[in-house]
Amino acid sequence: MIRIEDVRKHFGSVAAVDGVSFTAENGAITGLLGPNGAGKTTTLRMLYAVMAPDSGQIHVDDIDAVASPQTAQARLGVLPDGFGLYPRLTAREHLEYFGALHDMGGAHLARRIDELLDLLDMRGIADRRTAGFSHGERTKVALARALVHDPQNVLLDEPTNGLDVMSTRAVRAIVGRLRDEGRCVLFSSHVMQEVSALCDSIVVMSRGKVAAVGSPDDLRRQTGHDNLEDAFVKLADRRRRPSA
Amino acid sequence: MTGLRAVRQAAIVCRKELRDSLRDRRALWSILFSVIIGPVLIGFMMNRIIDRQREAENVVIPIVGMNRAPALVDWLRQQAGVTVEEGPADAERAVKERREAVVVVIPENFAERFADSKPATVRVVADGSRNDTRAQGERVRRLLAVYAAEIGSLRLIVRGVSPAAVRPLAIEDVEVSTAQQRAAQILTFIPMFIMVAGFVGGMQIATDSTAGERERGSLEPLLVNPAPRASFVTGKWLAASVAAIGSAILTTALCAQLTKLLPLEDMGVSLRLGPDYFGYVLLAAIPLCLFTAALQATVATMSRSFKEAQSYMGVLMLGPMLPGLVASLYPMGSTLWLNGIPMLGSFLLLSDTLSGRPPGAAEFLTSAAVSFALTVGLLRVTTRLFRSEHIIFGR
Repeated sequence: MIRIEDVRKHFGSVAAVDGVSFTAENGAITGLLGPNGAGKTTTLRMLYAVMAPDSGQIHVDDIDAVASPQTAQARLGVLPDGFGLYPRLTAREHLEYFGALHDMGGAHLARRIDELLDLLDMRGIADRRTAGFSHGERTKVALARALVHDPQNVLLDEPTNGLDVMSTRAVRAIVGRLRDEGRCVLFSSHVMQEVSALCDSIVVMSRGKVAAVGSPDDLRRQTGHDNLEDAFVKLADRRRRPSA
Repeated sequence: MTGLRAVRQAAIVCRKELRDSLRDRRALWSILFSVIIGPVLIGFMMNRIIDRQREAENVVIPIVGMNRAPALVDWLRQQAGVTVEEGPADAERAVKERREAVVVVIPENFAERFADSKPATVRVVADGSRNDTRAQGERVRRLLAVYAAEIGSLRLIVRGVSPAAVRPLAIEDVEVSTAQQRAAQILTFIPMFIMVAGFVGGMQIATDSTAGERERGSLEPLLVNPAPRASFVTGKWLAASVAAIGSAILTTALCAQLTKLLPLEDMGVSLRLGPDYFGYVLLAAIPLCLFTAALQATVATMSRSFKEAQSYMGVLMLGPMLPGLVASLYPMGSTLWLNGIPMLGSFLLLSDTLSGRPPGAAEFLTSAAVSFALTVGLLRVTTRLFRSEHIIFGR
């Protein structure tokens, strides 16, 4: 479970994240929805402790992520914006590296890697260097790398960005499966359909603030739009021009 | 417990960086080139010097007008390593056009003046601007001077005067530089090449694993792993250090192998690169490599892009090169305070060791202590940089 309360982050005079609070439950997929520049990535970066908030509280499974970032990180699986693979290492070596950094090793790690290779249908590319991988293959490696230590909480920053239909479906299937296993899944997207199809709960962000929280149906009701996309536009717009 | 874990994670990072860089063909070639270029250049230079030395010892003297001084020619023929031949008609032109290194011309009036006990002219035609023939010219002049002195002594004896009377001074040359020191003068470049090889060896990992890692976007996922930032920095620095030390050792070994192949003993020169001196070389080179790798990692982490980091490396390269260049202009040896200067201290340890007088423990300790202290300081700075959001995400 992930809980953030009144988190703020400024870059110079710009308030990138301006008092954001929400909770992502276990056994549920929480979508962080918003246009580009809404503060989604910054919020996630503070969550997985590579950025420190100016103020506010972040808890991962009741661990204070600001005070003990490494303990929180051990319970997080993260797919950051842009995968950042090593072109000269094979897919398997990526998993071995990150597994080792999570204190895994030996037969235990080997078994877990086999599991993930099967789960993500990566057997064919496991021992190839990632230099020539397609976008879909790179996504799989990055996703497997995020899951290697079997984390309770999974953060995905725009995981389906730029993926073809088949790969997008594969990622969605994994995300659904992670929820069914009782994990807390938080994923960001600016794609309406994806979020409405997948998420149990949606946090709409705009201009560094939370514009609305609720299930897809809640949001439709709140805005009076049947179409979720219209609802989203209205919410984002309301933030932009509060007087209107 | 957490300390042990941090060390283990640094080792994991180090292993990954080494494995990654071993697969970087282009980087490996550049390291290999920097390791080999030094020994190859030295071998080439030494071979030329040795050849010239031999040329001077086995000298062919073209003489114009041999029949005018048969006694002198006979005497020259009897000297070891001397061959006499008929000189070219136009001696000055032959030397100017570099057909001959040195020509001796005996003028027509030689026999007449010689018989009258007047100074008989012998002309030595040589080109003083040519380095490659200087030794031969010197040899010829020395031979003629010896002959002149012998004849002079004989003439004095005939006149009932002791030759000692015209030798108020007996000049004795006492050469204080040992053979090894002379070798070091010629081979001052070896320490510089060892240092440069160490620098280039670590450079690739130091830049690729910091500035390169960020540019590829893999720094952010890496830092999501639950390890202290110091572990990441230490691991990357350690990998760069291993590569640096490896290159330095390889260059040293190649130089050692090379000096075995070269007929250095013929020059009265020997270079200390045997197994017993190898240990001293390592004592000087290892702290240096640790320090340069840390310096490279810090500078690369601070630079805005991989390219910028690489151009800074070009500037930093002056570090291991300057001491060698300065020392060739202002020869200096180990003293405690000079050894305390980073880079220069290591250079002095290396050059003194290679010239056969390894400095004492105090000098080694001073140099190592300074290098270690700077290394620790630089690692701290880099760790702080790794905590900075500006650095992690670029500006």
